[in-house]
Amino acid sequence: MTLSADIKLELGSFRLAAKIAAPGDGITVLFGPSGGGKSTLLSVLAGLRRANGTIQLGGHRLDKRPPHLRGIGLVFQDARLFPHLSVRQNIAYAWKRAPEHKRPGIEEVAKFFDISAQLDRPVTNLSGGEKSRVALARAVAAAPDFLLLDEPFAALDGQRRRAFIRVLAEMHCNYRLPMMVVTHNIDDAAALATHLVALKDGQVVAEGSFVDTSRMRQFQTLLDIADIGTAIPATSLRSSHGGRSLWLRADQVLLAAEQPRAISARNVLEGEVRAVTPENEGSRLVELETKAGLVLSRVTPDAADELGLEPGKRAWALVKAHAL
Amino acid sequence: MLSPVEIQVLSTSFVVAFWAVLLSLLPAIATAFLLSRRFSGRLALDGLVHLPVILPPVLTGFLLLLLFGRRGPLGAVLEQAFGIHLAFTRQGAILATAVMTFPLLVRAIRIAFEAADFRLFAAAAVLRASALDRFLTVALPLAAPGILAGAVTAFAAGMGEFGAVITFAANIPGQTQTLPLAIYSVMQEPGGEAQALRLAVISFSLAMAGLVGAELLQRRMLKRLRG
Repeated sequence: MTLSADIKLELGSFRLAAKIAAPGDGITVLFGPSGGGKSTLLSVLAGLRRANGTIQLGGHRLDKRPPHLRGIGLVFQDARLFPHLSVRQNIAYAWKRAPEHKRPGIEEVAKFFDISAQLDRPVTNLSGGEKSRVALARAVAAAPDFLLLDEPFAALDGQRRRAFIRVLAEMHCNYRLPMMVVTHNIDDAAALATHLVALKDGQVVAEGSFVDTSRMRQFQTLLDIADIGTAIPATSLRSSHGGRSLWLRADQVLLAAEQPRAISARNVLEGEVRAVTPENEGSRLVELETKAGLVLSRVTPDAADELGLEPGKRAWALVKAHAL
Repeated sequence: MLSPVEIQVLSTSFVVAFWAVLLSLLPAIATAFLLSRRFSGRLALDGLVHLPVILPPVLTGFLLLLLFGRRGPLGAVLEQAFGIHLAFTRQGAILATAVMTFPLLVRAIRIAFEAADFRLFAAAAVLRASALDRFLTVALPLAAPGILAGAVTAFAAGMGEFGAVITFAANIPGQTQTLPLAIYSVMQEPGGEAQALRLAVISFSLAMAGLVGAELLQRRMLKRLRG
């Protein structure tokens, strides 16, 4: 079921005007800088905040319905577990109110999120990671038609963050749950997204399939200069990443004009130079079309001249496995 | 230990305060929840609820007499429809006590509602819980420690209500003569100071027990909520 919305909202001097469509068979990443209206948009979709305009899910109008009748789930940045209930009771709270034919069993959900051992504990003394997983389990137990996630991994870092992203991706497949995930981290976005909506200052600046949309100029301008790069399928490089795509930063890619031999970089992609664009800082951004997709590499003007990098020329992109 | 008269006075106080709190609990919860939200007319409702705190209790009793007396607009209706007399009866003492302790109860419960994390209501809403459902399953349990503590405090205060009760329900031994009314009566008798002192000690002990009990109860329940 596609979730589409065309809404307008004014909050003081902030204006949100967004027309979006999130497909019902993938993961849509809502990307953008802080203060761009991502969380506000989610609360409007869930019905927690009023706005003008229309919201539709699978052809049904939702905008006039109160939040509990929308069938839209929302996982917040903070887990928001009910402190007066145990882990099991928190999950059961959602489960009891879910449609009988759709809802998964409580034990099964607990097992999936690896919290079976915590089921009968109070929620007040769980670790941060456990709280996030209970919040996910509770959201899944409500059997929503569409699940919105507002950076539920914001409090996690490093290994635990990557593990959590993997859980999200598995949960999407296992429960066939269409999802929209808010993040401002490009690696998280690449690991999860099939679809991308980029939001800045309350406006949608780019929307479409993740791989294509993330190449667009108006999307790249949202990124930090060090994050500029492209998405390539995780399977095209030797990595233990486990996500859908990898975000390959232009700074992490070396270029060679001849096929390199006996090098320590584990991943080499052959391709053809499409364009060489000068950047403000004096560096050159080289676009290389490879079998895995478009790859960007940032080089100095001297290197670009020495290697004779110009459109049509063959080149090899070297990626340090460490960068993945 | 206690003389039969003292036991009678205590039981009157106990019954009056108990019913006053029990009957005003639900309206107090509803009023407190309303006051913890934003709506137009909130200030007016807040003022009305707290009126008995500001007015002299004797005046509150007098107003009750005007409203619920035999010839009062509400009193006449109650008498004709149900044969209920409130003025100068046990029920009247309960009503006067309820009116006086209502603001205390509302204040304690309102603070409890305001302290409850409102973001949890949003979390419940997206788990398919309706507004009433959220109130019953999230707001009430979270406010329960405050509600209980408020009820115990109101009960302790209700046992000692004087001005409104003596004005509206009079000072009838075995009917409306609560602790403070009994103290007042024995003080009018020559040589009644010793008896008055005994009653005062009883009254003081009960009030302290009520306050300490409420505090302990609330702490224990909050500890369970906060882990």
